Parts: sequence; C-alpha cells; structure tokens
Amino acid sequence: MNSFSGHITGIRTHDALALVTVRVDPHTFEAIVIDDPETSAYLRTNSPVQVQFKETEVIITTAKAPVVSLRNRIEGHISAIEKGRLLSRLTIQTAIGNLVSIISTDAAVELGLEKNSPVTAMVKLNEIILAP
Amino acid sequence: MIDIRIRKNLQSAQGRMDLHLDMSLAAGQFVTLFGASGAGKTSTLRMLCGLMTPDAGHITTTQKTWFDHRRHINLPPQQRNIGYVSQDYALFPNMTVRKNLEFALDKKQSGTIVDELIDIVELGELQYRKPGMLSGGQQQRVALARALVRKPDLLLLDEPLSALDREMREKLQQYILDVHRKYQLTTLLISHDVGEIMKLSDRLYEIQDGRIVREGTPADIFGLGKSSARFRFTGEVTGVQKADIVYIVTLRIGHDQVKIIADPSEAADLQPGDKVAVASKAFNPVIRKI
Repeated sequence: MNSFSGHITGIRTHDALALVTVRVDPHTFEAIVIDDPETSAYLRTNSPVQVQFKETEVIITTAKAPVVSLRNRIEGHISAIEKGRLLSRLTIQTAIGNLVSIISTDAAVELGLEKNSPVTAMVKLNEIILAP
Repeated sequence: MIDIRIRKNLQSAQGRMDLHLDMSLAAGQFVTLFGASGAGKTSTLRMLCGLMTPDAGHITTTQKTWFDHRRHINLPPQQRNIGYVSQDYALFPNMTVRKNLEFALDKKQSGTIVDELIDIVELGELQYRKPGMLSGGQQQRVALARALVRKPDLLLLDEPLSALDREMREKLQQYILDVHRKYQLTTLLISHDVGEIMKLSDRLYEIQDGRIVREGTPADIFGLGKSSARFRFTGEVTGVQKADIVYIVTLRIGHDQVKIIADPSEAADLQPGDKVAVASKAFNPVIRKI
C-alpha cells in the first residue's frame, strides 16, 4: 500500500459524505469518505493524517496535462520497473517520495515506459483511504 | 459496574511480576483481556473469583464490595455470584445434562431458569444424557448454561472455546453472544482469537507483564478502526501464492474464503495462520440482490 503523511487542509461535507483535502507537501490530495467531523475525531483542519492507496489503483499517463476526471495527479519519473508477463510494477520517484503502481505490461509497453521515463501517477479520489 | 483496582506480586516461571490493574467494567459490557501467556490474565480472573488474594486494592460491584484490602473485606468465591467457564468443562459425569444444571440452582431459586437455559442453548434433546455421551461443543454448551443458572453478576470466560474446532467455536460464540445480550450480563473473556474478540467484545484490554498497555474497542486496537476504509474484516491467512509480479493472498473470513492481491512488499511478511485485517473503501464493493 502506498502511504504518505500529510495534514488536512479542508473538509466539505454533504449528507454523510466528506470531501477532504490533504496537503502532502508539495502536493494536495483529495479523498471522499463516509465519515464526518462528528463521527471521526481526526477529521479536523490541520489534523495529521495518512493518505493511503493500493498500488493497483494507481493510473499512469505520459501526457502532460491529460483531460480526465482524476483528481489526484503526482508527477515523477520511473526509478525501477519490473515487467511481468501480464502485470508490471513501477516504482515512481516523486516530490512526496516513492510510490508504486501496478499496471498491465501491455500498457507499459504501449506507453514506452522505461527506467527514467517521466510519468504522472493518478488516483481517483474514492480510492484514497485516510487514516489518523 | 465492576470497579477493579488490584496489585499482586506474582512469582512466575519468568521471575517476579508486579500485576497492577486498574479497570472498570460497565454493566452489560463484554470485555476481553488479551495478551501473551504469563501476562497475568488468568491470575486476574482468579482474583476476581476469590481464588487468589490481591496484595492491595479493591474489587467492588454496584451492590457489593468483593475485596477491599484496607477494610479487610475478602468475600469467598460462593458469595461473589460469578459464572465461570474455562476450556475444561468440569461437568459431573454421573449426572444428566439437566441434573448438572439443577445442581447449580440456589436453594431458594425456582427451576424455571433451567428450562429456559436448556431452550436457549438448544440442549432439549440432550437433557437426559450424561456428559460422556456428548461432543466437546455440546459439553461446553452445558458448561455455559450451568454458569448462568444463578444469573451471575459477572460471567468469566477463560479461553472457553480454544479446545474446539473452528466451526464449533463459531457456533458457541453465537450462543455466548445470545446469552450475554438476553441476560444483560457483564462478561469478561480471555481470548487470543482476534476474530472471536472482534465478534464478541465491546472493549479490549491488552495486558503485558502485569500492566495494561492498551485499551480500546477491538477495531481500534487491531488496526484500521479509525481509518476511513469502511469495508473491513479480520481473517486468517490460509495461503500466499506468487502470481506474476504480485501475490495472491487467500484468507478465511468467517465461513468464506476470499482472495486478495498484495504487493510483494506486503506479502513478504505474511504466512498461513497469520491473523490479518483487510479493508477497502466502501466505494469499491459491488452489490446485487440474490
């Protein structure tokens, strides 16, 4: 699991949902959770929180500013690539630290991914787990 | 409410240990003591029962003081109204199931409770058999029913299910939960089984070398409790298999076998038998009526 330490910078609630922004310098993550500040003590502005997401949820693009709905985008370059028959595991060096992405090997080949390739890692906001 | 503040100097195989406990059990609560063997769990139960005398402190219930070192109060076990079940069923072999239960009745007590308990733990068809004719799980149901005959103020369960197989354990857990709720018991369990603790307990105290090192709800203590991952379970690893560049971890969760993909960094320290917590965001699972 990818895990980064940050602190909460904003919370927007509606019904039982909360859209939380978390600063992991120099990036800002967005996560949507079914918690609110009343049920979860950690949901407060400035509270420290871990941003977590599974390797298999990380989408990779080589485009500079792709027009897609994904809210979390972290730029970096590939520091290691392990190509399996079906799946490939990329270690991406970014400003917030290393993160790991598991994508299909066919996609890795089509995108021409190699060590040192610049890429943007993207994660949907509903895949982000927040943990105090 | 049972208020426990006890100190006891214990001599164990590992040397001397100063047991120092400070805990309170709210009425109707299901509390578990968790910790390595030799941490002081069974000694704690023995002191609650009155089979071992603390060096200092007190044990008080809302109605009665069971022990108070300063006031020289130390009620004998029979005056504490405690139900006790361990993995040793300790049934009378020459008495039928029903007689075992009736033997536990207080002189002034009516026998209707015996019928009620036989009904709840579903021993109706077995009530005229002797313990030797019953399976381990059935004997444990008799032991549980017998512990409840006097409607105890405190039910103590000392690893009662550890000798039973998994399926029987799960059945017995349900009986325990049913009687705990029906009789609004205050129950203290000793258990090592994370799934069992998650299923039964409201509150958990972890003891290490005679001290409480952590307390909280089982979900908080076994991790993931405070995380926003709302789709979460505890299970046991039954297999770890490499598949391409990832691992497939097989888990048993309740009656179900599930598979989870794990990154090599996570799979590295997993092996069959490990207890694990699994979680996913509530957004991932799909749902369909069956």
